[in-house]
Amino acid sequence: MKRNLITIIIGVVLVVIFLLLLFVFQVRQSEVAVVTTFGKPTAAPITEPGAYFKWPWPVQKIYKFDKRVQNFEDKFSENLTADNNPLLTSVYVGWRISDGGTFLRVFRDGSVSAAQQRLEGMLRSTKNAVVGRHPLADFVNANPQGLKFDAIEREIQDAVQSELSTNDYGIRLEFLGFKRIGLPPSVSDAVFERMKSERQLQISTTENTGKRDAQIIESTADRQAAETLANANATAIRIRALGEAEAGSSLHEFEQNPDLAIFLWRIDALKQSLNQKSTLIFDERTPPFDLFRNLPTNSVSP
Amino acid sequence: MERNVQQNALVNLVAAVMLFIAAFVVTCYVNSLAGQAGSVFLGLGGLVAFASWFQLRLEENERLEKLEVEEMARSRGETALFASKESEIFPARRVRAQFEKFFVPGFGVLMFLLEAGGAWLLWRWMGKVTTGIVDVRALPSLSLFAIFALLLFLVGRFSVTIARLENHRLLRPGASFLLAGAYVCAFIALGIAGIVAKISAADLWAARALCILLGLMAAEMLITLLLEIYRPRVKGKISRPLYESRLVGILAQPETLFTAAAQALDYQFGFKVSETWFYQLLQKNLPLLLLAQLAALSLSTCVVFVDAGEQVVLEHFGKPAGPPLTAGAHLKLPWPVDKVFRYRTEQIQTFVIGYTPDEQSESAKVILWSVSHAKEDNYLVGNREPVTLQNENGDTNGASKAPPVSLLSVSIPVQFQITNVLDWAYNNGDQTNLLEDLATRAVVHFLAGVDVNEVLSSNRLEAAQTLRERIQAAVDATRLGAKITFVGLQDIHPPTTVAGDYEKVVGAAQQAIATNNYAKAYAIQTNSLATAQAFTTTNAAVATRLQVETSALARAALFTNQIPAFEAAPSVYKQRAYFQTFAEATKNARKYVLFVTNTQNVLIFNLEDKIGADMLNLQVPNN
Repeated sequence: MKRNLITIIIGVVLVVIFLLLLFVFQVRQSEVAVVTTFGKPTAAPITEPGAYFKWPWPVQKIYKFDKRVQNFEDKFSENLTADNNPLLTSVYVGWRISDGGTFLRVFRDGSVSAAQQRLEGMLRSTKNAVVGRHPLADFVNANPQGLKFDAIEREIQDAVQSELSTNDYGIRLEFLGFKRIGLPPSVSDAVFERMKSERQLQISTTENTGKRDAQIIESTADRQAAETLANANATAIRIRALGEAEAGSSLHEFEQNPDLAIFLWRIDALKQSLNQKSTLIFDERTPPFDLFRNLPTNSVSP
Repeated sequence: MERNVQQNALVNLVAAVMLFIAAFVVTCYVNSLAGQAGSVFLGLGGLVAFASWFQLRLEENERLEKLEVEEMARSRGETALFASKESEIFPARRVRAQFEKFFVPGFGVLMFLLEAGGAWLLWRWMGKVTTGIVDVRALPSLSLFAIFALLLFLVGRFSVTIARLENHRLLRPGASFLLAGAYVCAFIALGIAGIVAKISAADLWAARALCILLGLMAAEMLITLLLEIYRPRVKGKISRPLYESRLVGILAQPETLFTAAAQALDYQFGFKVSETWFYQLLQKNLPLLLLAQLAALSLSTCVVFVDAGEQVVLEHFGKPAGPPLTAGAHLKLPWPVDKVFRYRTEQIQTFVIGYTPDEQSESAKVILWSVSHAKEDNYLVGNREPVTLQNENGDTNGASKAPPVSLLSVSIPVQFQITNVLDWAYNNGDQTNLLEDLATRAVVHFLAGVDVNEVLSSNRLEAAQTLRERIQAAVDATRLGAKITFVGLQDIHPPTTVAGDYEKVVGAAQQAIATNNYAKAYAIQTNSLATAQAFTTTNAAVATRLQVETSALARAALFTNQIPAFEAAPSVYKQRAYFQTFAEATKNARKYVLFVTNTQNVLIFNLEDKIGADMLNLQVPNN
């Protein structure tokens, strides 16, 4: 009897759990639920959190959607700007389900991925159109005032939102922004090459400016040195001239006996000229070698 | 009675096949991985039920044949009948024997291949599959699998009970599969329930477990097949069907484990452990104990412990119940009435923009611009000077303009904290990705509006501050409930392909400074030497002047004193002076004195200087 009672209790508990699963459903704060009876939405979507009654499947079905902002990023795709520059762009989008009933009706089984696919298609088409209306300088500009990033984003968002509202998808776009902008690989390579050439230009400028400056410094130094030496030589000449002038003042002393003075200068000159290594050839008539004349040892017999 | 057994086997077969098909259809409908593995199990059960039913039919035919022969033998009493061959008399027995000899082992091999192949293929397939359970179909599928489990349980339980009777052993394999199939269906339902409870990997875990079960069954079948080769065959002894899985039997009737365990314990301890009060209590009250465990499990969900540094959002039937719970113990109603969601609010969380770490290059201890240290993205950045390309004629009028942009690699760590957990939880679906999107957008926007050289050279700190403010503004606008605590421009540099050229610019500047310094050194040297030489020249001139002046005065004085001597003996004085000077002057000169006695002779002197011995012995340097 006791065993049967336990079995009955277990059975009752399981049945209660099973019935609760079948007849009750919860809606979270972050969710919106749409109840369909035999496939037809019965009432307005449930947006308030709480526990609700339902008839079990297949009478009623519950479709729950996340009513929070959901975001996705589209593909990094190539567009042409107004000034014919290819530009790769990718945007992220924040969207939410504004009307669960409409959302369920428009997208099969309320598929979020299907909604994102539809949204992505719409977004790409709008983005291409908007990017094509702006020059590259509106996207990238060293002058921040020339940048129109925010305006372009608003333009895309307004266009997509208008499309969504017109066709009533039950979706509202909350925000949109550029996640990435870039250039196609071939253009990127060209930009790299240009950046390299700019660096090469800087390198050449720096190196050659350095060489120029160095040469200027060296030549200036040479000029200054030459100038210094020239001045010094001129000064030296002037000093020597003064010496010569001073020395000349004593020449009148030699006028007392000019022959003797000239004789003394001659022998003085002779002495100075033979200071270096010299070879002299004398004949026997040259004094003092004339002493050798008439010496028998030196006469040559006929 | 035998007819009933066949009917039971047929019911098993039909139930197994029908529920296999139903489970497979529901699996495809809900896209459940565990359902795929469970369908394979149920399919195998259908095959076993078929083999079981077929073998039962053969045994029934054999039994009827035997009765007929015995009846004929009794009525005619002829011996000729027994003289003929046995195979001719009992064709049904022969067919049954042939069946057991050839078909059953073959069927065993087929089962092994299906089990092993199924387990292996499913395991591999699960690793590759990316789609999951369709959310909106989860609850109906959960209910259906629960119904399948109930149906299989009812049929399987009945068959298992019948199979315990004598001569009903062939019902057992199919019945066990049906009963185990009920548990498998309940297990699949549990996996789907996990998905409903937002445990995203629950279905995958259930599928993996079922794959392991299939693998174990394959291993058991292989061992059984190998043992079958060496099994002693005793005539008349009824053997267990080869395709009957003991593992499936235990799974279907876990209570048989008690019997086996009791036997093992009795054997081990040497007395009847299974008759002790504790063992009896355990065996009798097992359901109650399980129920108590379930209650304890449910009660354990009534308390929530919040760790330091985290906050918990408590939902009562999906609605936030008051402010977030902070660190400590809190009471709540049991799951699923109250549910908790934990968030690490104090923890500083980080993500990096523009940089995907690469393990190999991360290990490098030196980070250079010119060496790639991660997978880096290139960001467009403005270029102050417009770049104009020359056209084919060499002029720039009307020529196409190259994009006035440059590219930069950046690595910007962003750190944040959750400050408002309710905003964080309820305003956005994928908060971290959204935050990363917002931060990346701020970086892209910032870089697109600055000059490449400015951002590389100066104002980095200001740039980081600007970025932090912009990201925070975007976070506030989207009501993410997070605070940006840090944004760092830790690595911002030209892309690797051009980084080397940027480094060369610095090298060139250093080289220019060096060249300049060398020139200055040369200038200093030149000017100093020139100054010194000028000083020397001037001094030499002064010395010369002094010498000239002094010498002139001295010579004048000498001459004044020589005049009296000369006048005293003019010729002698001159001769004396001449010879004194001659002797002094020619002292070191090489002298040739000619005596010209024969004036006809021509004398030739070789006055070339002789090369000195030291010049002839010059050593040639080695290098």
